[in-house]
Amino acid sequence: MIEALKEATVGSIQSIKQISIIVIPIMLAMEILKDMGLLDRIANWFSPVVRIFGMKKESAFPLVIGIIIGLSYGAGIIFKAAKENKLSKKDLYLITYFLVAAHAVFEDTAIFAALGVSAVLLLSTRLTVAALFTFLASKFLKDLERGENNELTTKERI
Amino acid sequence: MALQTGSITLDTLKRGLKSGIDVTLQLAKVMIPIYFIVTLLKHTPVLGTIARLFAPFMRFFGLPGEAALVLVLGNLVNLYAAIGAIVSLSLSLKEIAILAIMLSFCHSLPVETALAKKIGLSAISVIAVRMALAVLSGLAFSILL
Repeated sequence: MIEALKEATVGSIQSIKQISIIVIPIMLAMEILKDMGLLDRIANWFSPVVRIFGMKKESAFPLVIGIIIGLSYGAGIIFKAAKENKLSKKDLYLITYFLVAAHAVFEDTAIFAALGVSAVLLLSTRLTVAALFTFLASKFLKDLERGENNELTTKERI
Repeated sequence: MALQTGSITLDTLKRGLKSGIDVTLQLAKVMIPIYFIVTLLKHTPVLGTIARLFAPFMRFFGLPGEAALVLVLGNLVNLYAAIGAIVSLSLSLKEIAILAIMLSFCHSLPVETALAKKIGLSAISVIAVRMALAVLSGLAFSILL
């Protein structure tokens, strides 16, 4: 019993140390990226990419923010972007499908990388699969686009 | 709609450090109790029973039965809980990689499904998509790695 408690104490403290060494620099780097205005630039690079999914180019911003920062913050930005840029419901759904599969990717990857898993493998698999799925979904969601009201109903606003 | 236009200041570094420490604290808060519980379970027959019960399903992914605990915690609670279980069980690097990709696609279902629902997607479709991606990627990793 004492052995188990000792094992858990030492083990959990070591694991947290191991993870914080990776996570803290990553979060610091992300804040620097944000303040350098790099997120906007990355979103610009993504404009041609979202065209492949048949989305308006303004969809790139909420998508990139969600991928990098996370879903809860991303959701707020999605609503704002949808309202300001009149994104279609289809675009909104596609962004959300992409994001439920891949969000806060640097944070999540850092945590697993701290345990020894290849960050490149995890990150590239996650983004590629999310992109493939979104592309497929963009084909299946075709009908939603036509005659769809762009305005969000009150119920759907946060 | 730019997030901000400023440059790097001391404030940037402070905020970055703070968010890094926040993540670490959140992690610690969830991970430490899970670590203790799983370590104690290891010294009882409970973990063995769970392992035997789930071994037939987890075998498909090249995982031992007790890895089911990791998937359940990751999906019902969050990634930090899953990490707590991963580090307290003795898993190989390949097993951790398989769990990592599965959990990457599918985790924190109660909280994140609620968010997706707010945007207008149906809960069932979101959960189905995420579970399908987790299963497929888990199978792929267990075969390819």
